[in-house]
Amino acid sequence: MGKIGLIIKREYTTRVKKKSFLLMTILGPILIVGFLVGAIWLGQQEEKDLNILVLDDTYVLSNTLLQSEKYHLTSSQDEGIENIDDGKTFLKKNDQYDIFLYLPGNIVSGNTSVGKLFYKDAPSSNVQRHLENIVDGSIERLRLKELNISNEDYSRLKNKVQLHTIDVVSNEEKNVGMRAGVGFIFGLMIYMFIFMYGIQVMKGVIEEKSNRIVEVIVSSVKPFELMMGKIIGIMFVGLTQFIIWVILSLTLTTTLSLAVFPDMMSPQKMAETAQMEQVAVGIEIEPVNSEAEDVGKEFQDLIFNQIPWGLMIGLFIFYFIGGYLLYGSLMAAVGAAVDSETDTQQFILPITAPLIFGYIVAAMAIDNPNSVAVEWCSQIPFTSPIVMLVRVSMGAEGLALEIITSMVLLIGTFVGTTWVAGRIYRTGILMYGKKASYKEMFKWLRHK
Amino acid sequence: MTNETPIFEAKNIIKEYSGHRALDNVCIKVPKQSIFGLLGPNGAGKTSLIRIINQITAPDSGKILIDGKPLQREHVKQIGYLPEERGLYKKMKIGEQAVYLAQLKGMSKKQAKQELMLWFKKFEIDTWWNKTVDELSKGMAQKIQFITTVVHRPQLLILDEPFSGFDPINTNLVKSEILKLRDEGATIILSTHNMGSVEEICDNIALINNSKKILGGKVNDVKQQFSEEKYIIEFKGTGVAFANAIWGGWEMVNNEQLGKNHAKATIKLTGGTQLNDFLKGIINAVEIESVNKVIPSMNEIFIRAVENESNSKKEVTNENTNQDG
Repeated sequence: MGKIGLIIKREYTTRVKKKSFLLMTILGPILIVGFLVGAIWLGQQEEKDLNILVLDDTYVLSNTLLQSEKYHLTSSQDEGIENIDDGKTFLKKNDQYDIFLYLPGNIVSGNTSVGKLFYKDAPSSNVQRHLENIVDGSIERLRLKELNISNEDYSRLKNKVQLHTIDVVSNEEKNVGMRAGVGFIFGLMIYMFIFMYGIQVMKGVIEEKSNRIVEVIVSSVKPFELMMGKIIGIMFVGLTQFIIWVILSLTLTTTLSLAVFPDMMSPQKMAETAQMEQVAVGIEIEPVNSEAEDVGKEFQDLIFNQIPWGLMIGLFIFYFIGGYLLYGSLMAAVGAAVDSETDTQQFILPITAPLIFGYIVAAMAIDNPNSVAVEWCSQIPFTSPIVMLVRVSMGAEGLALEIITSMVLLIGTFVGTTWVAGRIYRTGILMYGKKASYKEMFKWLRHK
Repeated sequence: MTNETPIFEAKNIIKEYSGHRALDNVCIKVPKQSIFGLLGPNGAGKTSLIRIINQITAPDSGKILIDGKPLQREHVKQIGYLPEERGLYKKMKIGEQAVYLAQLKGMSKKQAKQELMLWFKKFEIDTWWNKTVDELSKGMAQKIQFITTVVHRPQLLILDEPFSGFDPINTNLVKSEILKLRDEGATIILSTHNMGSVEEICDNIALINNSKKILGGKVNDVKQQFSEEKYIIEFKGTGVAFANAIWGGWEMVNNEQLGKNHAKATIKLTGGTQLNDFLKGIINAVEIESVNKVIPSMNEIFIRAVENESNSKKEVTNENTNQDG
């Protein structure tokens, strides 16, 4: 084994053997899946029943308001309340009611309708939206009556158009938004890994430097070999962790969805949750279930058929390695330039800024995949590892040339940054007590 | 011995760091199987030279020859380096990191383990193999660093302050190991401020001051070169009788009455007076018991050489300022 191999092996094994690595590797997927399951579970939780007191100046609405299982509406007349102040005091004094809803007289006649919702415990936005829907529905019914339009005619008036997106080249129907989301998750993972492991490279270099073991080691190997060995060793740690995460996450989700919450994780159930809002509105246009099933199918189709997994995973590994080498080498240079971690701030910021920018652009790309900013950032090597995958997930057709250019640019740039980092590194690791500045580092670049 | 190719030779080494000259035309020859003292005040350029030998940096000009051949990457295996500022990985097991460092020097894993176990036993630390550095004292860590420097049996050993941090017992242990390594064929370059140990074990020295070599050669030759015509004479009789025996041609440096009729005088001969002539002069006044030439210690030589050098420099700068004024 060459010397660089020895260094890679040491960097790898010492890190993988650490308890913190084991903990992160096992806890990571548990936390991720836990959050996911938790979020879905919370979304499906029934909210508690609410008793709502309604003061309606026109005395029209309160009689036509829809009742539902969870929202019990009571007209203020029943409690003998005639104005807003009485209502407020009543709400304060009475445990019986959770919310006091005030609908002023002009709410029926005006176009912009503003009511007031008084509460003791702040209601969720869901409750607010739900009540708005109820009031809206009631006003609609009232006006239908005034205009003498039957419910059947109204149903015919109300339309709900859905646009299905179809790629003209492949003639496939695709769910662009959801696919972009999958791409974004990939980009996000690359972003996280570059950050986490880039910092580890920097810390490793600082450790060797402040330990002073570095002088012994560079008398045996070239500084560049030491730096590359460290960067590559840590890269394998990252890949190992990633692979274990994927395997664990998949196993966990499958087990959970099959055994523990078979009902909750089903696409139908998830789709229903998404549709609940619509159910709340008084007037149903078509049976909800069929639509929910549609969404479920779409989701399955997306997961199993639409995402080009082979290409995505291949590109993920390439962009992960490329982006990591680029940023990792810069982090190594920073580690070599400083004496302790506290001095790193001024150098870290300019390095992480493009990384964070890339993340923001990737988030933007979900909504607007073809904007100029996204196109540019998927080419620029400092952001392409994060942004490109979002674009690819939405369909790789016609992107071949752009993917290749961005890959070539990325390779070229990390070769460049590694070279620069190597020059800074080899001078920096042996400099103690000298405050590193950009000017100083530029000098090191030109040292023989 | 003098005609043999030196194991290490530095020829006209010049190294500059952004305007500051760290080594100025330094030439050094180290004969095979000897211990060479590389001396000099802090910041004189010793570490720069050592780093060049270890190929950590390259000289701006000049040549390094190992056994007559220009220094190459291959020579790493034959060199062992114990830096002054040294450390170990804090969280790695001692045995593992010793094996790792030996492997970096080109040993196989198996070979490294075998040799290291022998060394660990010799230094009575074989029970530490699975401990981490965190659990050790500084002196313990020093032992391990010394072992990792020598385990691959280098031809050329460069030891920078090898005794610092050791108690007297361990200092002796390390000293005897260094001598043993030399007897087995290794050559040692020893950089230290501990002049006592230089005197004890070095065969040759070079003194570097302000990036220049100002003194070099065999330890005895250097001492002769720096010895003045100073003698310690013990005699029976009084100091007064001694002092009045001869007029001129000498100075009394020190006079100590040891007993009622027993004294010791340190004298310095001046104006080309011969010792024999001096003795002839006093032999009638007192009864001479012993005569010894005063040999300067390395400590003295170090201080005198460095001070002379900086004095002459000051004079030069003074002259310059005078001219400017």
